[in-house]
Amino acid sequence: MEASRLTSLFGRHDFAIRRLHSLLGLMPIGGYLVFHLATNAAIIDGPEAYQHRADQLHKLGLTTIVVLEWSLIFLPILFHGIVGLMIVSRGKRNVLNYPYADNWRYTLQRLSGVVAFAFIVWHVFDLHGWLRWSWWVENVARPLGGARFMAEEAPATASAAIGRAWWVIAFYAVGVTASVYHLANGLWTMGMTWGLWTSQAARRRMNLPCAAVGIVLLVVGLGALGAMVRAGRLSNLPDGAAGPVRSAPAPAADHASPRVLGSAR
Amino acid sequence: MDRPSERIEDTRSGSRGSPSGSMTSAEANAADSFLVRVLRQDGPGLTSYWETHRVAREPDMNCISVLQKIAERAETIEGRRVAPVAWECNCLEEVCGACTMLINGRVRQACTALVDRLLADRPGEIELRPMTKFPVIRDLVVDRSRVFAALRKVKAWVPVDSYLDMGAGPRQSQEDQELAYQYSKCMSCGCCLEACPQFLKIELVRGKGESETDFRRRLDEANRQAFLGAHAIAQVELFNLNPIGSMTARQRLDVLTGEGGVQICGKAQNCVKVCPKGIPLTTAIARANRAAVRHVVRKWFDL
Ligand code: HEM
Ligand code: SF4
Ligand code: SF4
Ligand code: FES
Repeated sequence: MEASRLTSLFGRHDFAIRRLHSLLGLMPIGGYLVFHLATNAAIIDGPEAYQHRADQLHKLGLTTIVVLEWSLIFLPILFHGIVGLMIVSRGKRNVLNYPYADNWRYTLQRLSGVVAFAFIVWHVFDLHGWLRWSWWVENVARPLGGARFMAEEAPATASAAIGRAWWVIAFYAVGVTASVYHLANGLWTMGMTWGLWTSQAARRRMNLPCAAVGIVLLVVGLGALGAMVRAGRLSNLPDGAAGPVRSAPAPAADHASPRVLGSAR
Repeated sequence: MDRPSERIEDTRSGSRGSPSGSMTSAEANAADSFLVRVLRQDGPGLTSYWETHRVAREPDMNCISVLQKIAERAETIEGRRVAPVAWECNCLEEVCGACTMLINGRVRQACTALVDRLLADRPGEIELRPMTKFPVIRDLVVDRSRVFAALRKVKAWVPVDSYLDMGAGPRQSQEDQELAYQYSKCMSCGCCLEACPQFLKIELVRGKGESETDFRRRLDEANRQAFLGAHAIAQVELFNLNPIGSMTARQRLDVLTGEGGVQICGKAQNCVKVCPKGIPLTTAIARANRAAVRHVVRKWFDL
């Protein structure tokens, strides 16, 4: 009885839920993805530029950061992701029987969403730790190998975490590619969801701008990933040939107070 | 209500054992005959099985004439006598949709699926299967009543409920007429639904002790909650485009934005590619989406 009441609640508000899902995909999630990839691309200009960007962000202060990251990033992604997984589970993909290009795009939209979900959950744990609560960070996140990023040591900690194994680098490349495809193709489908491009000709015309957004974002995202991996290799050279950017490594005491440790996310 | 069971093709067994039905497989060499693989099912809910028949090739055959030949002989390539394969057909000119099935894996009408072309694409063999998104009644006959239930749900008609002569109705622009004509070609065949990854099959089994009325009610409820499908969305566009039909546009938009409404479409766009009538279904969906958003905003703010 309860379960059926819940499904009928979803059923009645399905339209609103799906439109909210679509809207959140663009704003704030899509907007944040652009911002995030662009911010990370600072590493292409070197560790100092990247550290500077991290410092700028963390000037906001812990409370502001926590409120912003939950309201504009975590909760919207959780909503979009969970509703997205429900949507995926309620479709019956048939691209092998109907191998049209648009059907491939539909199928890849679902696949990239699922990959992005897995990647984002892991990535946020790995670098951020999910919660900025000292007990959690010390007793759960760090022992499990997460929360590796520290804003004071942004380039060093990020490059060490991302470049630590070939599979981590590969997972990043896959995660970034999936997210970017998902956003670019999602922009195009949004035009149909909201009735912005209704004619066949208009829909065809919009392929190009959406693909362009995707290609630019992919270059920026993968460029940042490559530069991050390279930065890690340089700082690992013997004799500190290109040692850590910040002269003094953060003392142990600092590591133990994660509440004041921010993250460039 | 459509009555699919009444339209099950009556394949008379009179020709059984007649001379024309006694072709041996040796006689029928590959050039003047071909194989037909049929996915059969003896009744609702039973397991399906493949069966192969050999059919002598004649000029200008289509898949309905192939099925007639199979019914004449009703003998598999192993020489087993079987009940004739059941199918539906009606107009024989691709306007009723009754003969829709999967032919070589593609959903289309059997009456316009020409054997010469099918054999040119895939020599020697034709594969026939019932549609997969509707409950099978028998062999190639499926229960497409959900297609019509969706049309009722969106009120796919123009209400003219008056004894008075109300005079001529408002005029429709040439542009709207042209679009409406496209939508009006729909024959409710269900190809768009078969190919849609968001349209899932509903097959209910009548429970022990469940009355026919209760079972119907349960089926109606299941249909009501499930996706309307591209054809019904296009019909909303058709009737909301009509000057008189547009007077009840809001009722249709309520359905469109309700449970099972246009939001379930995932933009795979298979519907528009398989529609035998070339109906611009994705244009209808995008326009319906635009109307749906406006409708919900208007309702929300009491405009
Ligand atoms: C990287 C972060 C993400 C971004 C930027 C993003 C963005 C978008 C956008 C813009 C759309 C188009 C909405 C529409 O067609 O109306 C969309 C659709 C979709 N997203 Fe995401 N999304 C993200 C993550 C996810 C995740 C984690 C999932 C979980 C599986 C997911 C599942 C879906 C699905 C299934 C759709 C298709 C909805 C439909 O067309 O009916 N997305 N997304
Ligand atoms: S829209 Fe086309 S495919 Fe769908 S039911 Fe109508 S005629 Fe058939
Ligand atoms: S565009 Fe929508 S209705 Fe058409 S096949 Fe795709 S999901 Fe189904
Ligand atoms: S018999 Fe009417 S469409 Fe084939």
